[in-house]
Amino acid sequence: MSDPVIAAVGSSPIGRTELTGRDLFSAAMAEAFEGLPEPAELVDAVYVGNQSEAYEHQIMYGTLLAEWAGLRGVPAERVEGCAAAGALALRHAVRDVRSGEHEAVLAAGVERMTAAGTGGATEALSAATDRALEQRSGLTAPAGYALLAQRYLHEFDATERDLARIAVKNHRNAARNPRAQFQREIDVDTVLESAYVAPPLKLYDSAPVSDGSAAVLVTTPERARQLPGDAVRVTGTGAAANNLAVADREATRMRGAERAAGTAMEEAGIDPSDVDIAEVHDAFTVCEPLIAEAVGFAPRGRGVESALPPGERSEGWTDVHMSTSGGLKARGHPIGATGLLQAIEAYEQLTGRAGDRQVDAETALLMNEGGVSDAVIVGHVLEAGA
Amino acid sequence: MTGERAPAAGEYGPDSPFTLPGFFDALGEGRLLGGECGDCGAVLLPPRFACYACGSRDVTAVEQPHTGTVYTYTQVRRPVPALEPEAPFTVAVVELDSGARLSGRLTVEYEEAEIGMPVELSVREPTEHEREAALACEADWPVHAFEPR
Repeated sequence: MSDPVIAAVGSSPIGRTELTGRDLFSAAMAEAFEGLPEPAELVDAVYVGNQSEAYEHQIMYGTLLAEWAGLRGVPAERVEGCAAAGALALRHAVRDVRSGEHEAVLAAGVERMTAAGTGGATEALSAATDRALEQRSGLTAPAGYALLAQRYLHEFDATERDLARIAVKNHRNAARNPRAQFQREIDVDTVLESAYVAPPLKLYDSAPVSDGSAAVLVTTPERARQLPGDAVRVTGTGAAANNLAVADREATRMRGAERAAGTAMEEAGIDPSDVDIAEVHDAFTVCEPLIAEAVGFAPRGRGVESALPPGERSEGWTDVHMSTSGGLKARGHPIGATGLLQAIEAYEQLTGRAGDRQVDAETALLMNEGGVSDAVIVGHVLEAGA
Repeated sequence: MTGERAPAAGEYGPDSPFTLPGFFDALGEGRLLGGECGDCGAVLLPPRFACYACGSRDVTAVEQPHTGTVYTYTQVRRPVPALEPEAPFTVAVVELDSGARLSGRLTVEYEEAEIGMPVELSVREPTEHEREAALACEADWPVHAFEPR
């Protein structure tokens, strides 16, 4: 059986907007299906990654977006796993095509985060922490990540300046990404002088609140060959849930990520050293070292060197390029769409469409998580040449 | 160390510490109950149907020590809107002397907190703002915090 492929991708502008979720989706679909037949002639099912109805008071996003795309009648559902919703939608699409259940599936993601203001976003995101003991203690999502960062800096030879370099690297990449929310470079002092959100994490360690949508068409290689444009293969997918409460997990070791990435790479028949580019979930800078270590790119405690060019990192690091898109920090983080924006970056890199940020890449690993780091995490391996 | 076993089928109800109403009732009486796994020894907070460490359903509710040390901590500067009048405040993950960990408020300024700091659990009524943040069914549940010792 041949691997499913990604045959078309599209996204809306990412950032603050006056558009609603369905409008952002329309913008993503307009790009993804430019020059293609009507979606109704291709798509057999729809999955929509969407974090929260708190922003727009709208559930039923599967039904809504299927209707909006002219796909009334197909099976359609919203997928929820906080910020991992997008990759979960992709995973469902991949598994449907791989199993032969459907020939072509639309994986979409959407979030209109600015609709409810900063307080509304804080409220909506805090729902991803455990209600019983964490939310009732006043814990927020940024504070949850700060608990991890505090422990990481305590256990390892790493500083706030090291974390700042990761944000600087991601802004540098985003400056070369036309899809990015922040297409400008920053320096380490900008990060270090920014206000604490939850110490040791500062404003510039944090992904922004973003509006945005992404759409990815997953289909068979045979069907893809009948369509214009290149395709990339999805050769592995893995997912794992860990404890919901941060307190119940190892702060500096992502067991869920180890498992999700391990499964995806095993399915693809590759090792971490085979991965040329990785899009990882830097909701906060500390996520990048934690994921780099969990998936096997970096020795434990040295993932914090992810901002250094391959070759200048400690022994035991692979030569992977991390988050060429600019990552969540600078590309933007419209929660339910983020996992699919990662897939779009890999698609562009693997098909030579990445412009000024193009690197030589045949194999990509995507790591998308939800619920303060490791609560649920999804890994995908994408490879060039369909 | 003997404690209450997980309820059998048909016996789950709000008096059991294996449900949140029962867990918080006990906490309100000053008893912090954890679920101790009979197979692997993990302590689960709150007590629950099965052990997340090994999958066993041999779980018993056992009273936990109130003393422990700070494992990690931070300062919440931008809380959910209802708690804004209380910000900034310090939160920590505390490792109890039994090895179980839980999050909670730390009753010292952020600058005074440190990893390894000895602390003790206290239990109080929810504040006016915490009641505002609570669902109706949670409004009377007590709130725990950690104080330096």
